[in-house]
Order: sequence, then structure tokens, then C-alpha cells
Amino acid sequence: MRPGFSPRGGGGRGGFGGRGRGGGDRGGRGGFRGGRGGFGGGFKSPGGEGGFRGRGGGRGTPRGRGGGRGGGRGGFRGGAKVTVEPHRHEGVFICRGKEDALVTKNMVIGESVYGEKRINVEEGETKIEYRAWNPFRSKLAAAILGGIDQIHIKPGVKVMYLGAASGTTVSHVSDIVGPEGLVYAVEFSHRSGRDLLNVAKKRTNIIPIIEDARHPHKYRMLVGMVDVIFADVAQPDQTRIVALNAHNFLKNGGHFVISIKANCIDSTAAPEAVFASEVKKMSAENMKPQEQLTLEPYERDHAVVVGIYRPPPKGKK
Amino acid sequence: MAEDSTVPSDLYQHVYSFLVENKFAKAAKEFLRQAKVKPQDQNEDSLMDIFNFWVKSPETKKRKAVTSGPAAVNGPSAKKAKKDADSSSSEDSSSEEEQAAPAKKAVQVKAPPPKKPAAVATKESSSEDSSDSEDEAPAKTTAKKPAAVKAAVQPAAAARKKDTSSSSEESDSEEEPSKTPAKVVKPVTGTPKTVSTPVSAAQKKQDSSSEDSSSDSEDEPPAKSAVKAAVPVKTPPPAKPAAPAVSSSDDSSSDEEDAPPSKKPKTGQFSAVPPPGTLTAQAPVKTPAASVKTVTPKAAAKNDSSSSDSSDSSSEDEAKKPAVKAAPAKAAPAKKAPTKVAPAQKKDSSSSDSSSSEDEATKPAIKVTPAKAASAKSTPAKAAQAKAAPAKVTPAAEESSSSSSEESEEESKKPAAKVAPGKAAAKRAPPKKTPAKVTPAAKESSPSSSDSEEDEPPTPAKATPAKAAPAKATPAKATPAKAAPAKKDDSSSSDSESSEDEAPAKPAATSKPVSTPKPGAKPAESSSASDSSSDEDEGPQKKPVTTPVSKPAPAKPPAAKTTNKPAESSSSSSDSSSDEEPKKKPATTPVSKPTPAKPTPTVKTTNKQAESSSDSSSDEEDKPQKKAATTPASKPVATSAKTTPAAKPAESSSDSDSSSDEEAQKKTTTPVPSKPATPAKPAAKAAESSSDSSDSEDETPAAKTAKPAAATATKSPAAASKPPVSASKPAAESSSSDSDSSSEDEKQAKTTVTPKAAPKPAVTPVNAKKAESSSSESSDSSDSETEAKKTPAKPVVANGKPVTKTPTSAAKTPAKKTAESSSSSDSSSDEEEPSKTPATKTPPATKTPPATKTPPATKTPPATKKQAAEAKAESSSSEESSEEEETPAATNGTQSAKKATPKNKKIATSTPQTFPRTKQKDSNAPFRRIREEDVEVDPRLKDNSFDAKMGANGDWGQKANNVLKFTKGKSFRHEKTKKKRGSYRGGAISTTVNSIKFDSD
Repeated sequence: MRPGFSPRGGGGRGGFGGRGRGGGDRGGRGGFRGGRGGFGGGFKSPGGEGGFRGRGGGRGTPRGRGGGRGGGRGGFRGGAKVTVEPHRHEGVFICRGKEDALVTKNMVIGESVYGEKRINVEEGETKIEYRAWNPFRSKLAAAILGGIDQIHIKPGVKVMYLGAASGTTVSHVSDIVGPEGLVYAVEFSHRSGRDLLNVAKKRTNIIPIIEDARHPHKYRMLVGMVDVIFADVAQPDQTRIVALNAHNFLKNGGHFVISIKANCIDSTAAPEAVFASEVKKMSAENMKPQEQLTLEPYERDHAVVVGIYRPPPKGKK
Repeated sequence: MAEDSTVPSDLYQHVYSFLVENKFAKAAKEFLRQAKVKPQDQNEDSLMDIFNFWVKSPETKKRKAVTSGPAAVNGPSAKKAKKDADSSSSEDSSSEEEQAAPAKKAVQVKAPPPKKPAAVATKESSSEDSSDSEDEAPAKTTAKKPAAVKAAVQPAAAARKKDTSSSSEESDSEEEPSKTPAKVVKPVTGTPKTVSTPVSAAQKKQDSSSEDSSSDSEDEPPAKSAVKAAVPVKTPPPAKPAAPAVSSSDDSSSDEEDAPPSKKPKTGQFSAVPPPGTLTAQAPVKTPAASVKTVTPKAAAKNDSSSSDSSDSSSEDEAKKPAVKAAPAKAAPAKKAPTKVAPAQKKDSSSSDSSSSEDEATKPAIKVTPAKAASAKSTPAKAAQAKAAPAKVTPAAEESSSSSSEESEEESKKPAAKVAPGKAAAKRAPPKKTPAKVTPAAKESSPSSSDSEEDEPPTPAKATPAKAAPAKATPAKATPAKAAPAKKDDSSSSDSESSEDEAPAKPAATSKPVSTPKPGAKPAESSSASDSSSDEDEGPQKKPVTTPVSKPAPAKPPAAKTTNKPAESSSSSSDSSSDEEPKKKPATTPVSKPTPAKPTPTVKTTNKQAESSSDSSSDEEDKPQKKAATTPASKPVATSAKTTPAAKPAESSSDSDSSSDEEAQKKTTTPVPSKPATPAKPAAKAAESSSDSSDSEDETPAAKTAKPAAATATKSPAAASKPPVSASKPAAESSSSDSDSSSEDEKQAKTTVTPKAAPKPAVTPVNAKKAESSSSESSDSSDSETEAKKTPAKPVVANGKPVTKTPTSAAKTPAKKTAESSSSSDSSSDEEEPSKTPATKTPPATKTPPATKTPPATKTPPATKKQAAEAKAESSSSEESSEEEETPAATNGTQSAKKATPKNKKIATSTPQTFPRTKQKDSNAPFRRIREEDVEVDPRLKDNSFDAKMGANGDWGQKANNVLKFTKGKSFRHEKTKKKRGSYRGGAISTTVNSIKFDSD
């Protein structure tokens, strides 16, 4: 037993010494880490290394959060002498005051989703709270400000939102469709999905689906027929993804709104050519494009295409 | 020892009573017979009391604890004591043995064999007379028998071991009690039994001292032994200190005697003896012995009373306690069967004391037991200690064994560890070796590759220097030509090598004499040596490969070479010998065919006449007529004469070449002169090619003529060789007038004419031809052409083979064409100025010869192939057509190549660049998901920028666009993040529609 034990002890000591020195060179932080390293070395070098790395990763998270909070606080503020008038799109409003802002009626009064500012308006006895919609953060808002003709998202409709991300735009869509409407938010990333779940907890008309939009059959049991599909997936095959979901869930005559990021499809080709080729693909998938709009300057090399899925025969019209 | 002697006898009565009470009638009867003890009712109670006292006392309790396990332990302990006594002295042992002998005999009869050793031991220990011992022995054996029976054999062995260890303890205990009881016992034993007391005394004395006299005394009667025993008692000093103890005991006994009135008189007698002292004590011993003899029962009673007195005094206080303990003791033995055995033994040991005390009362008997209990207790303690020792030892041994095992384990581990690194080292060694092996393999491979690489360089190096040496004369011209052939030779196959060897030889030879005649001669000789070697090599290769039918074809190329050499004035004996050999062989076959070939040449000649022009037709007509008239012998002569004039015009043309070159340079400025130059070159080429073919044809007929006549053959070859030498000499010397050269030729011709008269008329036509040539250069050129035409006809006749005719006809066709072109040039030369121009034209013709020669070399291989094909297929018409097509293509290719040499170079340089570029482009084309070229973009959607959107001016995002439109990528994101804050103000939000609708709607 003794001969077997001694080598291990020697190895451990060596590791400790080495790490201690490294820590000293780095300074205060280095010293701290060095100390921990020594502790780990006492047991097993691989374990110590793992722990060390893990700690480094952990430290990064709080900083990011802190930054986020700061931004949120800065954004919030109240205004006076402001009037809210409905936008051309039903469910969307324009707050006109010192500066105009696109707003949606807050479904959950008293809370903001991503630190946006809230505007309270008293109309007689009742109070209505609106949430500012920043076009630099939301492609749908950018499309609305850009002058899109129809977004087909209005109170009471069922929307499938592909690429929900953290749920910032989803929350505004939730405000638009209202309690009678329904938003199926599909997000593949678990990291963003966590935030989406928090948004969904407070907004009961949002159904979060943490799944891959390329495989609609995996969540077909969770989704009923929808009226509108909004896609913001930024994938080379995003048109195919939208087509698959349209075939599974979109009603005939339903509409789709696709945000196309040219650089994700082919960064070597001209954006105009990319948009044109995507429009061709849509046509081939029974998705008839109706209008196209650039998202400049809010987004670079982006465009929104709105169309109708399996349009009814012209005769019926 | 006294106790031992008294104890069993005293206990006998108690044992007997015990047996009777327990209803052991048979045992009791036998006991009485053996022990001869009288029953006493009082004794019964006394035995039980003795046992109770022993059990109740604390010392006795300890004994019980030790003995409780093995009941037999008590028995063995007694035996051990006896054995110790035996070991004390050799004399005692010898005496005891004598006593034992009769006892053993009795025992053998009475007791079973396994019990004998116990009986023997007991008998030996006894010191009484033989009779007493016999009585005691059976009693002991009977008492011990039940113990032996109960105890198992194995426990007995263990008990024996323990007995040996405990024997020392018993001996110590016996010594202490032995002294006091000895003194007490002496008077007691003396009074009741004279025999018993002297025996015990004798034993004690023997123990203390070792004397031969004591043994002798034993042999004497018991009475005498008693007297002798009394004497030694005085000598031992320990006896004296014992005396005061005895006196004290006597005093205590006297007090007790006062209490019982019935016994007072007896006690009075004893009280008189102690007061006298030691001496008085001895005296009363003797006197009691005498009284005992007379009145034995009384003496016995007295003895008993004295012993009881001593016991009473020792344990007066304990009398009460034993009484209380008696009740529980009685109950205990009844309940516990194994304990009965131990108490039985104890009773035996204490029987003597109890017997003495029985006479008086139970109390004194009970008091006696505690002393024995104490001694018994001591032995168990020692035994325990002994037991502890081995226990300690065993654990030590175990520890040592365990430690040794641990050490062995450690050692085993250590060597294992040591071995492990050894193995690791061994394992490491092989991998080290393997790379070492691999490296040598790699090294070996690399050396082999290097060797192969080295092998390649030396071969080209060897080739280049050999060729470079001859190239010294004209390094610029010769080196490139030679270098290329050398490379070709290395890479090409044997057949191609042979053809290539011919090609490089010709241009080298031709170039040298043209540049400098004198230095050309020397290099020519060296080249001739190499040529001869090449010719020899080629000969054997061709012969075995080609069939006899094709033999004449390979003969032509070497013939051409040989003709070239003499024309150039370079020839050697080796060359001639090599040439002659191949010529002779093919000549044999054509000899048989010459007769059928004769009519065919006449027909061809007529065709030629019709084709040629009027002027040339006249000359041609004369020549064929002469040829037809002349015999085969004359033909070779004519051919040799013809060759010489061909050489002359070539030389003259070479002189004018330099001037024509200069004129050509001037003409290059004007396009008009270039056109006429082109037709001149092909004419010259044709002339050269025709001359080459004529040379080869001439040689073959010479060989043929030689064979039919030995004398003529030998002479004619000599003549043929001489003319070329003479021709070379005049050329080398200088460019003399045509007349001088013609005169020399005539002389040579004459020499040949002398052997035969017929050739004379042939000589005259030769002279006429020469005169014609001297008249004008133009006529010379036309004559040479006409000769070329005629010469092909002769070889056809000579060959006689129909297969060979077709290729010759093909050769003729280009000759005719060239003739036509030459005729046109002749017509232009009629004028004076044109007279200069023809001179200029002829030089380029001479220059072209080396170029033209190369094509013939290339052609000859296809000719051979054609002949082979013809022979196999036997379809002349199709083959002729194919041949005609091939020849013009070759000629056209060569002409175009020559004319546009600078253009060709450019083309060559351009072609390699184009291909790689296209390939590179193809390989560098990366994958594209969207090909912009294939996508049609709506004009309205061609610009995705903010400004291109309708309503961009005044839009809420315009301010942002002003900042963001200049950024891209990371900077765009940075600027955009600024806008994400609530501070951005874009102005009013408009609800206008700015999207672009698709036409389909």
C-alpha cells in the first residue's frame, strides 16, 4: 500500500505548486484562482481543471445580466400630454407626443417584457396601458413602420410565430391578438426558450413550443389550424421551413409573413437576387407572394414578403 | 509425604461410609476387602462436612472455578505431586521400583491394562511397607478408575501436560506443609502404626539426604527401619525449628482436651512427652511404639486424638463458618455430577486428617480442609499463569507470522513494482527499436530513390558529351538538334530510336560540310564512326524483325545514308563494309526477278515522257533509249556518272545561297518578293528529295551487278568508291570551274570503260550531258530534275517487285508536281534580271535540303509500314490512295511549318496558356446556393436600400438611415444598438403604404 500511495501524493503536490505560481503571476485574481487550483490538485487534476473552467463560465453570466438591467431602467419613463390613436393595422396604435412611437395595448398591466417603456392613458374612469414597440428590436415593427400594406395579424386570430427567440415580438403579437387570439411560439434554442417560457407564464394566450421548426410533425399535437404564420428563422432553407409548417397548420387562404435575411441564404450573392430566388421558391410551394418590403434602415439586407397560402380561385373572389 | 501416607488411610473410612450411604453395596464390599477399613457411623457425616467446608470457603470457590471445566484435573494434580517426589532422588526411585514390582504384578491381575500406568504411579509414590502399599494400591486404583473412565483419552494427555507444569507448584506447596505436618505426623504415626511412621520418616530422610545405607535399611524389617529413621531425624536442622511449632500445637491441644472430660486421661499422657524438648520428643516416640505393639487399638485412639487436637487449634474460629456452608455444599454436589469426582479425590487426600479428627468431633475435621484448599488454590493460579504465557506466545507467533506475511507481501509488492517498470522499459525498448528499424527502411528507400535519381542523370550526361564533341564545329546549330534527339532516344522505344538515330545523323552531317569544308571533314569522320556503329546496330534489328519480302525496304535507308556520306565527301572503310553486307543479302533475291521487270520500266518511261515538257522531253527520250540499250553491267556505271553531276550543281547552288539569303532579307520588306520565294523553296525541296532517292536507287543496282560476276563486282565497287573520293577532293580543295571537275570525272569513267567496250558509248552521252550543263545554270537545274525523274524508273526495274512499284509511283507523283513548278520558275528565269533571280532561288533550295531530308526520314518508316500492309492486305488500289493522301498531308504540314516558323512558335506558346487557365477557372468555381445570373429580378426590387423605397423622405426611420447607411457588419450593429435605447426620435409616424406589390396580384 505504501509504495502505491507515495506516487499519487507526489503528483498532487507537483500540480499544486505549478498552479500556485501561475496564480501569483496573474495577481489578485490569479492568486484566488491559484488557491482553488491547489485545492483541486489535492484530489485529482482533471477534476480541478473542470471546476476551474466551470467557475470562469459562471462569472460571465452575472455581468451580462447586470448590463441588461441597466438598459431596462434607462428605457423606462412616463410622458405627459400624449395621445394614442389606432394605426392602420388593427390592434396597433401610435402614441403621438413629443415623439411618435409605435405601441400595443399591454395585456398584462404593470409589467414590461424587455424593459420597454410603458405609457398610461386615462380615458374617463378607465386606465389603459400601452407598451412601446421598438422597430430596431422587432422586425414586424420595422415592417409596420416601413409601410407594409397588410400584416394579417389582428385581434382574435391564431398566429404561429416561427423563431420566437426571447419573446419580445411575440409579446406584442400577443397584445395585438388579445385574449381571444392565440400565439403558438416555436423556438428551437433552449436558451431563448427559457425566456419565452417566462413571457408565456404571464401571457396566457402564448403557447411556447421548444422544438425544431423543421420537424412540424413533432409538435403537431400541440398546434391546431392557424390563420397566419410569421417566420423569422434566418436559415438558408427558411422558405422550405415555412412551407412545411404551412402544409401542416396553415388554413387554405391563410397568410404568411416571412422576414428574409439575404446574408443567411447566400452572402456572396446580391441581396436583391436572393429575395427574388426566395420568392420563386415560395411560388413553387403553393405560397403566392403578394408584396415585398425592405426593412432598411432598421435591418441590413432584410426584406419582408407577405403572401397567401393556397389562394381561392379567382372566380370565387 | 506423611500427609500422603495418612490421608488415604484416614479417608478410607469416610469413603466406605459414603459408598454405603449412596447404596454402592458392591463397591463398598470390594473397598473393604482391599482397604480393610472398619466402618464408623460418625465418619459418614464427617466426609460430607469436609466436602462442604472445602466448597464453601472462598479459596475452595476459586478451586471450583478452575476445576469446574475438567473434573479429572484434580486427579492428575495428585499424581503430579507423587511423581515429583519420585524425581527428587534416584535412591527413592529405586526403592519405590522394588515396591512397585510386586504391586504391578497384583495390578496386572486385578486392573485392566490402560489403567496400569496410573496405578503404578500411585504405588511408587507410596512409602509404606509392601503389605500396606498393596492395600493402598488397590484402593487408589479403585478410586482412580472412575476418574479415568470418565475422562477421555485426549483430555488425559492434555491433563498430563498440565500436570507436568503444575508439578513444580505442588512440590513447593508440599514442602511448606510437609514440615509442620511432618512434626505433627511423627508422634501420630508412631503411636498408632509403628510400621507406617518409620516408612514415612525414612522417605523424608531419603528425600533430604542420599545415602546407600538408607536403601539397605529399607531391606531390613519394618521395626528396625523405624529405629533407624529416628536417628536421622536429629541431624536435619529444619527439624529443630519445627519443634517449637509442635510444642505450640501441643499447648493448644491441651486446652481442647480439658473441654472433653472423657478423653482427659489420654491427653495427660501426651502432655508429659512434649515438655522434655526435642530429645524427650524422640524418646516418647520409641516408647509409644512399644506400647502400640502390646495395645494397638488404644495407641491408634491416642494418635487420632493428638491429630485432632492440632486441627482443632488451627481452625477454632472457622468451625462455625463451615457449619453454615455445609448445607449449600451438600446441595451443590448433588446437583452437579462432574463435581462429585473432584470432591472424591479431595476426600481421599484429606482422609488421613479426617480419620484422626473423627474420634473427637466434626468441627476439627472441618477446620483442617481450609489449609488444603489454600494449597489447591495456589496451583490453579500458577496453571493460569502458565496458560497465559502460551497464549501470549501464540499471539506473538501469530503477529510474527502476520508481520512476516506482511513483509513478504510488501516484498512481493516491491519486486512487482520493480518488475513493472522493468516491463515498461522492455515495452518501451521495442517501440524504440521499431522506429529504428523503420528509419533504416526509410533510409534504404531514400538511398534507392536517390540511386535511381542518380542513375538517370549520368545517362543523359554521357549522351550529351559524346554528341557535344562532334558539335564543336557548329555549336549553335548542332547542339539544339543533338539535344532533342538525345532526349527522344532515352524516352522512345527501340524502333523509334532506330528511326530517330537516322534523322539526327543526316542533319549533323549535312550541316557540317556546308559551314566549313575543312573542319567539317574531321567531324565528319568522327560522325562516320558513330554512324557505322549505329548502322551495325540497326542491321541486325531490321533483319530479324522484317520478313524477307520487306528486306529491300530497310536496305534503302542505309543506302541513302551511304550515298549522302560520299556526296558530302565523307566515307570510311568500316562504312563501306557495313553497307556492302546488307546490300549483298537483299541482292540475291532480286537477281531472279530482273528479267520480268524489264518490260515494265519501258512502259513507265513512256508515261514520264508524255508528262514532261517539250524541252525536257527530248532529253528524257534520249536517256531512256540509252538505258534500254545498255546492259545491266553498264547501268551501275551510268548511275555513278550521274551522281557526280548531281553533287556539282549542289555545290554551286550552295555558293550562291549566301547571296540569296542577303537578298531575302531585303525582300522581307516588300510582300511581293515573299510570294515568289515560297514556290522556290518547294522546288528545291523536291530536287533534294529526288536526289536522295536517286542516290539510294543507284546503290542497290551496284550491289546487284556485283553479284552476277565476281571479277566485275570486285572491280566495279572499287571504281564506285574511287569516284566519290575524287569528287570530294575537288570540292574540298576549292570551287574550281565546272570544266576541271568534269575532266576528272571523265578520267574516272575511262578507267571503268577499259575493262569493257560496251560502256564506251555510255561515256560519250555523259560528256554531252556535262557540256549541256556548262552551257547554262537553268539548263543544269532542268537536267538534274530530269535525271531525278529517270533514276526512280531504274530502281523499279532493278527491284522487279510489283509490290515495290506502287510506292515508287507514289514517289514519282510528287516529283512530277515539283517538276511542273520548277518549269514555271525556269520560264521566269529567261530574262537577264530573272537570270540573277534563279541564282538567288537555287540557294534557298540548297538550304531547304536539310529540312527536306528530315521529312523523307519520317516518310521512310511509313513507307515500310505501307509495304507491309500491302503485302498483308494485297489491295493495291486502296493502299495507293491512302499513301497519296498521307504524302501530300505530310508535305503540306512541313511546308506550312517552315513558312510560318515564327507563327508556329507563337501558337505553341499561346496554346499551353489557354488550357491551364480554363482548367483553373473550372476548379476554382465555388458552390453557390443562388446564382445571380439565373435569377431575374424585378426592376422595382433591384435596390433594397432605404432610399429606393417609396416615401423614404420624411419617414420615421430616415434619421437612422442617415447614420446606418454608411456602416456594415459590426459597426452597423453598434450603431443599431444606440437606436434601441428610448432616446431615438424619428419624428412623426406615417401610415402610408410603401410596399411593392407583385404583378401576379
